[in-house]
Formats: sequence, structure tokens, C-alpha cells
Amino acid sequence: QQTLPSQAPGRWRPQQPRIPPSVSEEPIGRGQQRGPQSVPQGQNGRRPEGLQISAGFQELSLTDRGGCRKDFHDLGVNTRQAIEHVQESKTGSSGTMIKLTANYCRLMSRPQWALYQYHVGYSPEMEARRLRSALLFQHEELIGKTHAFDGSILFLPKNLGNKITEVFSRTRNGEDVKITITLTNELPPTSPTCLQFYNIIFRRLLKMLNLQQIGRNYYNPSDPISVPTHRLMVWPGFTSSILQYEESIMLCTDVSHKVLRSETVLDFMYNLYYQVEEQRFRDACAKELIGLIVLTKYNNRTYRVDDIDWDGNPQCTFRKADGSEISFVDYYKKQYNQEITDLNQPVLISQSRRKRGSMMPGPVVLIPELCFLTGLTEKMRNDFNMMKDLAIHTRLPPEKRQREIGRLIDYIRKDDNVQKELGDWGLSFDSNLLSFTGRVVQREKILQSGSVFDYNPQFADWSKETRGTPLICAKPLDNWLLIYTRRNYDAANTLLQNLFKVTPSMGIRMNKATMIEVEDRTEAYLRVLQQSITPDTNIAVCVLSSSRKDKYDAIKKYLCTDCPIPSQCVIARTLSKPQTAMAITTKIALQMNCKMGGELWSVEIPLKQVMVVGIDCYHDTLCGKQSVAGFVASLNQTMTRWFSRCVVQGRGQELVDGLKACLQTALRDWFKWNKYLPSRIVVYRDGVGDGQLNTLVNYEVPQFLDCLKSVGEDYNPRLTVIVVKKRVNTRFFAECGGALQNPPPGTVVDVEVTRPEWYDFFIVSQAVRNGCVAPTHYNVIYDTSKLKPDHMQRLTYKLCHMYYNWSGVIRVPAPCQYAHKLAFLVGQSIHREPNLLLSDRLYYL
Amino acid sequence: MDKNFQEEQFTGIIKFTPPLYKQRYQFVKDLVGKYKPKKVADLGCADCTLLWMLKFCSCIEVLAGLDICASVMKEKMHRLSPLPADYLQPAERSLTVTLHHGSVAHKDTCMLGFDLVTCIELIEHLEESELKLFPEVVFGFMAPSIVVISTPNSEFNPLLPGVTLFRDLDHKFEWNRVQFQSWSLETARRYDYSVEFTGVGHPPTGMENVGFCTQIGVFVRKYPQTSASVQSEKPTEAVYKMVFKAVYPSLKDENYLRNAVVSEVIFTAQIIKQSLLDRFMSEHEYNDDPTERKSEFQPSMNCFSEDLGKLVVEKSMEPFINGNVVYVPLKTIFSFPKVNRLCGTFEKLCKLIAGKVTLSSDGSALMFNSEHENE
Repeated sequence: QQTLPSQAPGRWRPQQPRIPPSVSEEPIGRGQQRGPQSVPQGQNGRRPEGLQISAGFQELSLTDRGGCRKDFHDLGVNTRQAIEHVQESKTGSSGTMIKLTANYCRLMSRPQWALYQYHVGYSPEMEARRLRSALLFQHEELIGKTHAFDGSILFLPKNLGNKITEVFSRTRNGEDVKITITLTNELPPTSPTCLQFYNIIFRRLLKMLNLQQIGRNYYNPSDPISVPTHRLMVWPGFTSSILQYEESIMLCTDVSHKVLRSETVLDFMYNLYYQVEEQRFRDACAKELIGLIVLTKYNNRTYRVDDIDWDGNPQCTFRKADGSEISFVDYYKKQYNQEITDLNQPVLISQSRRKRGSMMPGPVVLIPELCFLTGLTEKMRNDFNMMKDLAIHTRLPPEKRQREIGRLIDYIRKDDNVQKELGDWGLSFDSNLLSFTGRVVQREKILQSGSVFDYNPQFADWSKETRGTPLICAKPLDNWLLIYTRRNYDAANTLLQNLFKVTPSMGIRMNKATMIEVEDRTEAYLRVLQQSITPDTNIAVCVLSSSRKDKYDAIKKYLCTDCPIPSQCVIARTLSKPQTAMAITTKIALQMNCKMGGELWSVEIPLKQVMVVGIDCYHDTLCGKQSVAGFVASLNQTMTRWFSRCVVQGRGQELVDGLKACLQTALRDWFKWNKYLPSRIVVYRDGVGDGQLNTLVNYEVPQFLDCLKSVGEDYNPRLTVIVVKKRVNTRFFAECGGALQNPPPGTVVDVEVTRPEWYDFFIVSQAVRNGCVAPTHYNVIYDTSKLKPDHMQRLTYKLCHMYYNWSGVIRVPAPCQYAHKLAFLVGQSIHREPNLLLSDRLYYL
Repeated sequence: MDKNFQEEQFTGIIKFTPPLYKQRYQFVKDLVGKYKPKKVADLGCADCTLLWMLKFCSCIEVLAGLDICASVMKEKMHRLSPLPADYLQPAERSLTVTLHHGSVAHKDTCMLGFDLVTCIELIEHLEESELKLFPEVVFGFMAPSIVVISTPNSEFNPLLPGVTLFRDLDHKFEWNRVQFQSWSLETARRYDYSVEFTGVGHPPTGMENVGFCTQIGVFVRKYPQTSASVQSEKPTEAVYKMVFKAVYPSLKDENYLRNAVVSEVIFTAQIIKQSLLDRFMSEHEYNDDPTERKSEFQPSMNCFSEDLGKLVVEKSMEPFINGNVVYVPLKTIFSFPKVNRLCGTFEKLCKLIAGKVTLSSDGSALMFNSEHENE
């Protein structure tokens, strides 16, 4: 009986004279490289190696994973101090009060608590860290049982009494050593060092609770959710961080789910091998795997796949710390008893960006067979059914989420070991989640052609309310193309007929389309477009039979660059269901209108002469090559028209230069439209990673200012730069008749959970059907507008109503979402800057 | 009590490669490779490094550590916990790791029934009174098939600079070869064991007469383990305090096995179903969705279709579509090697998936709704 081959048939690559992989070492295959290597090292200016905390914290150091190897929390970036008008207060006042709970919990310390930091010196000098600790802790009666020591810095919860304490110890050799313990610092509970320290203690507590660390978070492996259809396992767990917030030091903890896959990278490659043609196999592997995080079988480490070395294989050798050469097969067999069965598999390369212990950062070689995949691939994310399956498990409604969070706090409060550890340091956690008062700002009215609409705040959606109302500006469909394959003739015809039904009430004048049948090949589509598009063509609509990306990409590329006209692609199947056909056609009609420069609705914007800018980035994880920044700027007072440009950058280039050029052109276009320059500019900057705030403040903002200066001597607009962050762990729960609910759209929080050194606030703008709503964090890092916080918050919330692809409120201001769409289209399909002739239309929707 | 470290300090001039402590551990690992013990206890396990190395040995099903100092054990004990991978792909073997706080001078029934007991650099830390009780506890009470004892060879000490009396302050004694061997032989004789001597850490050329830096005695029990001997032991009260316990996920555990089988069966059936559907329908996907709500479906597993054709040779094994329902015969699924290996027999397969999947009325095939995917 025929069974599946256990290995992908041959041909990883014919064996070549081996060049050993340019890698790596000990015990996890990382370390010094052999010979010179040209791999670019991570960004420089990394923090110096942190403190190694000992005494019960041996396995943790301040540079520990999830620690502060990178400043994830942007500590020490104090932007509020430079913004004059929020020195006194950064809180708004409008709206109605609402009682909220957040997933925060106060960390409390004894009154007058301090952490005492000592420097420990040895005479004669002792080299080995372990010897230094051993000698020091001969004096436990003096130091006490609770301590943290890294070999030279000692932390104690108590004061030794003297500035300098001298003690003597004797080594095994009978040598007497003088130890000088000098008090160097008395750290208040809020000092940055203390914060790092709390986080270390907290991670230690999570370990005590038998949670597994993966990446930055901790998970409970004993109760996994299994999704066999996709070989997925979901582990419930927690994210946590302890930081100084507005009023107090708090633990922010949220439920997190880790998606793991019970297949190895090699399994995955085998499967892929069956799905693609031989010659596309390597590309397909690279596309699917590069950028993914893998988890090694033999230890608890995660790595990012940066490359696949097809010339490498498990039989390649590397040099161990002791200088001996060993092959990967032998090494893993000997060290971990791991059998590698496929000796011809390629190897994965991960560029380590940080130093681990004494080992230098550098490429790490990983064996596919010994690596598990984690997380979802793009393909899985697009799998609607699977995401639905997952959502059932991962989308917790407010009540349940709060209960899970409460459980962690309970664990901590009930576990004896954990309590002892905390008690020894004089720390404890509040038993209740943080409660405070937020505000729900006034609901916006939707304005459309003289009519004013209210919408139901529960859904934050007005598609029903505005149906059948003329648009603010309807663009006619006088001359347009409808392209389809023979098989999709019916679908195309249905679309046409339905468009005839829905457009009149919108005020769109429409002629019958030029109907063109094509063969279902990319070249056929392109040829037809070339032949049929005239200068009068309003838009080209293509009915596609599948979501094959290559066809879509080719069409978009051609119509965004070489032959710049708006285009609309529709998948035939979308149109096939009678019950949804009209709703879908309405959406298509609206989208087509926007792409041609039409306007749908607006909200009242009292602020005059203001240009709003949105920026977002797209990083090509597949090829690791380019980044795209999308840039959009409003062109009119009602913010219904948007200018757009984008910057396509190779690896390692800074985006700022490109952004400068974008801002310049945006101002020029604004001037063309309005005959004056804006007196205020508000930039919403999305796509800023954790720890990048400093770069933004120090490089990007000055570039914007430079750019404005270059416009003219006497041009001095007020500039506001706001960093928009969607991925935050903060969650708010509204107390409503004893039950917990999502806070309603328009909820603004600018107290308690904000940071004292920032001018920041949270807004819940959208409504969700399932699970918990995620607030968006806004951090005003530069502001000469002198606008009151209230006005800044209101403007931001208003802009969340202005995204034309969704007749409802969205999570971020519309310019951010537009910038995102643009960057995504260019990054995914076009790969170069689209033609500027399209720049005043929303062609990228 | 950091014995590994202390030795490194003193052997600065005489350099062992690999370091001596690693050589000792490797010696134990080799021994495990040779005798394939199922239950191994490490007495004086300190920071659990040896236990950590041994957990990768696939013959071992029970690992226990004992130390007089709980804090040194606790320091790194978490590395004895199962790794994420152990949950993702539960191993065939079962493995339980426990750590106990207690003294080798006391008996505790939790140490009964072991195949191998290792005492690496342990005895020299024992007080005279403890050393006296030690043979009775290890050889008399625990009575494993094999005992490994390593201890410093004091004859080597002159070659270690800086060592005046003992290699470690906590050492109560250090024996020369004659002392160790006579103690060992006497112990072996009394408890009916044979003993062979060896060591690690070769002396430098010209100094061979001092012997190994670490001397090792390997004791093998001469009488067979009788079940009576275990049971006849008077149940002593538990004097050790368990400080750590980890039970590794294993396919021996019915629950893990069931999960693994159900996962594999569903995954396999999905592949079969999808390849079947692919033949019937063209891809239905969409892009550029005018509604921002993503509802794309991409058949993620349309692989294996060719092989499937060859696989389902028997007519009865052919998957088929009836109305909206796809039937995938269990026989077909069973013929996939992974499923086959997990279950062993077809009956076992049926038993394991019972109630976990939707079966046809006669129980011969898995049923899927084909509509579901195309909503």
C-alpha cells in the first residue's frame, strides 16, 4: 500500500562542497562566528548590558528576555515638559462621566519604602562573579536573606546603617579579602531602576505560578485550546508590565493568547512542497516562513526566521566554545538526544539582535526539523473560518476578561511563595482592579447633502440611516469599463443592473458600462485595459474569478502607475448571493465614487485652516526588503478630500527624508485648493513600534519643522504631532448595573492610566460585537497649537468618523487608516510610488 | 555549595577539556546510555544540572533529585519543567521529574524502586555520622541496580594550585584511592554489590601515578530485584519534602493520546476533504473586498491530491460527497502513517475518536459539511 513519503522527494539542492554555515555556537547554537562575516548587525546604540540580578534571581537579569534589552515602554522620553499649555493639566472636561474599571492594579510598598543600591568592591580584586557572591554572602547576617546582586551592584530592601561598610572574607585558598559595601543610591519607589526591578520580581512570580515564558509573555500550557483543522494550539496566558502611571505605580496585565502550531518547520516545508511547483518551492518557502517566529524543540527560546540557507544542512559543522568542530546532527543528538532524520533539509538563519550572556550577537543556525512554528501566517489570517474558530476562544467578553485578569491577581495574592517573596521586598499588590471616572464625549452628527443624521452609539454605524441619501459629491459614471471572464458574465451583468438600481438615490449619474469579456489570464486583462482605456475613462471595474494575488497585483500596478485611472476589482463570488447583493453593490458604488474623487459624508469641524496629516508604515516581512510609508493630508475644510503620497524605502533607509518631501507637496496642493496655507497642521503618526518614540521625537519632528521653515520665512504654522497606537494592553470596562460592558464609543480617558511624562489620552471610538473593545492610545509628542486637550480629543474622535470605506466609527482617525490602506496597497501590490495624477483621490481604498 | 565552580577555580593551571564537572556528567550520561535505566535518582543534585541533562535521555521515565539545600535546588528547578514543545508534540515515553528536600542519611519510600542512583561529588560533603548511615540508606534501603559514586582523589590535590587542605571548604574529607576503594569494597560486600573503579580527569603526562582527579565507583547489584524486597520494606514515613514535581505530557496518558489522535485525524481528513472538494469546485475566493470586513477563504490544504489517488486503492476507502456532506472513511485516514503509528490498530483508532468527531451512521466514515466552507 502506497503511503505518503516521509520526506519530500529529494532535491533540496544538489550537495555542494560544504562551506560550513557562517555560524554559531553553544548550547543553543549561537555565539561567535567563524571568520569574517558581513551580516549587518542590529541597530547600534543599544543599551549597555543590564544588571545581572542574583540571589534567587539568577536566571533573570535586567537584560533578560522581556526585560529592557529594548526600551519597550519608551521610559525616559519626556515630551510633556516641552508642551507649555499642558504643564498644569492635560485633562479634558467635556462629555458625561462614566465609571470605569481598567486592567490595572496598584503596586504598593511600605511607607518610606526605598530600595538601597550599593556598590561592592573587593580588595584584592576578585574576577569571578560567583566567587564575588560567595564571598559577600558569607556575611548573610549583615546583608539579610533578601538581596539582589550582580557581582558589583547590590540591592537591599534595608539600609545597612553606614555609608560604607567593610567586611572581611576568606577564600578557599585562605586568602583574606576586604569587601567594601558603599551605599550609592537610595532609590525611591518611582525610580526607573526600581521599575525594572519590580518587573523582574514580577516575572519571577509568574514563573513560580508555573507559567511558561514565550517571548515577552507568560502562558499556561496545561489547559490548551486545540484547533486540529489547522494544527493550532492556543495557550491562554498573560501580558504584564509594571510602570509609573499618572498617580501611582501599577501593574497592567491583560489576557493574552499564544498561537502555537504542532508542526515543525520541516513538516510545513513538506506540505508546501506538494502545493507548489518545484521551481517555485524555494520562493514559496521564503515567502511563507521568513518573518515567522519559531520555537525550538530543545529549549524554550524563540527566534525570528530571517533567511533560509539552502546550501546549509544539518551535517554542516560549527565550532564549539572549546574549539572543537561538531556537526549539527551530532550536536543535537549528543546534547539533547534530538534525532535529525532529514539530513538534507536546509537550515534557517536568525539574526540575533541582542547579546546573550557572553556571546556576541550574530546569525544563529536553526534546524527546521527542530523548530515549531508559532503565530498565524498571512494565509491563516485571511482564512475567515479559521479566524472565526479562533475568535471563539480568544475574544473574551468584558465580564470574562475581567474575571481572567482577576484570577492572576488572586493567584498572586494567594500563593505563599509569591507572597513571601513580595513581603521580603516590602511590596504588595492591591486586591482590586483600578476604578476611576472617564468621560463619554458628545456624539457626532453625520452631515450628508444638507441632512443631519444621528446614529445608534451602540453600533457606531450609520449605513442604514444614510441609505438613499444623496452623497455630498457624486462623480458620474459616464464612461467606464466593466471587464469580466465568460464564466463571470452573469456576475458582471448583475453588478451592472444593481448599480443602476442603487446609484440614482446617491445622486450618481450612470451610463451603461463598456462591457468587455476577457480570457482568465493576467495578460488578457492587461491587454484589454491597454486597448480600452481612453482619457475619458472614469473607472475600470474588473470582475475576477478568484483572489489570485498576481492578477490583482498586475491590474493595480498598471492602473496606479503606467496608466493612472481609478480601478475597482470585485471577486465574482461576492456578487453571487442574492440576499446580500444589494448591500454589496451599495458598498461598491460608494467605494467607486470615492476612488473617482467623490465625497460621501462629513462631520462638523469647527477648527479652521487646519491640515490633518496621517502617516502609517507597511513593512514587507516577506522579502525583508522594503518599507512603505503612506502619507495622506486633508485638502479642504470639511476633510472630505485627501491628498496622498507614499515613500518606498529600501532596508536601512530612514523614512524621514521621504516624509519631508511628502509634506512639501501636500502643502503645495493645499495651497492650490485653498489659495492659502494652513495655519495649523496636525499629524497623526501611526506605525510607531515600541521603543521608537525617541527616534520620532529627535529626528522626525525636527524634520517636519525644517520642512515648514523651508516653505517661507514668514510661514509659521502651529504643528501638532500625535503618535497613534492601536496595540495597547489597556482595557476598560464600564460598570453598568452591576455587570461589566464595553465602554461606549466616544469614551475618553486621560487620567490614572496615562503617563505623567506624556501628554497622552485614550479614546474608545469604535464598537465591537464580540469580545473587548481595544482603546486607541494617543500621545501628543509635539504641540504648539495651544489647543485645549478637550479640543484635541474631540478633533481626534471626529476624524474617526471620516473613513469612507466604512459607514461607522473606526479605531483610528481616518487619515491613519487611509495612510494604512495606501501603504498596504503599494507594499503588497505596486512596490513603487503610484502616479501623482491620482494623488487627490482615494484610489487606494 | 558550589562544587563545580570551586574546582574550576583551583584547576586553573591544570585545565580539563571539557571541564571536569562536564566530564563527570557525561560519564553518567554514558552509563545511562549503556544500561538504559528507567528510574534515576540523583542524590545531592544541587542546581539540577545533571538532572536537566538526563531529562533528554529517552529511556528515563522517572527522574528524582535530592538535596539537603532547598534553595540551591529551587534556583534553577524551572528548567526541569516541560518545554512548550513537549506539549505540542507529546512524547511516546512518560516522564516525571521530582525534587525532594532531605538528607541521604534518612530513608524515604519515595526513593524506592530506582534503577540507577547517582552520587556525584556527594559523600565528601557528609558529616561522619551521615556517612555512616549513607550505605544503609542507598545500598540497603534504596537498593537500586546501579549506584555511581564520585569523589575527589586527594592524591591529585598537590597538582591543584591553591589547595591546601580540601578542594572545597564544605568538604569534610577527601580520600585517596586506597581509602575510597576499601570503603567501596566493604560497602559492596556488605550489601551484595560488585564494584568497579574508574575516574575522570586524567593526570598530566609523567604524573600518571596520582590517578584520576575525580575517582568513581560503579556499583552493580548482584542479586535480582525481587518485588518482595520492595514490599517487605516497612513503610517509613515521608521525611523528604517534595519541592518540585513535573509530569511531562506523554502519549501513554490516554488524554494526550486522544488529543493527538483526534488532531491528526481531523487534520488528515481535512486534507482529504479539501482535495476532494477542489476537484469538484473551482477556487472561490475574493479580494479587493468592497466591504472592509474580511471574509476570505482560501483552501489552505489542497495538497496531497495526487498521492491520495494512489492511496485510496480500495473502493471502500474512497471519500465521497453526498449532497452537502463529505464522507471520509476512517480506513483511509487510518492508512496515513502518522495516524497509523499513533493508534496501532484500527479498533484503537475508533475507540479514541469516539464522541470527538462526527461519524456516519454506520461509524465507518467522518462526516463534514461542505457548505460550511463556502458560506
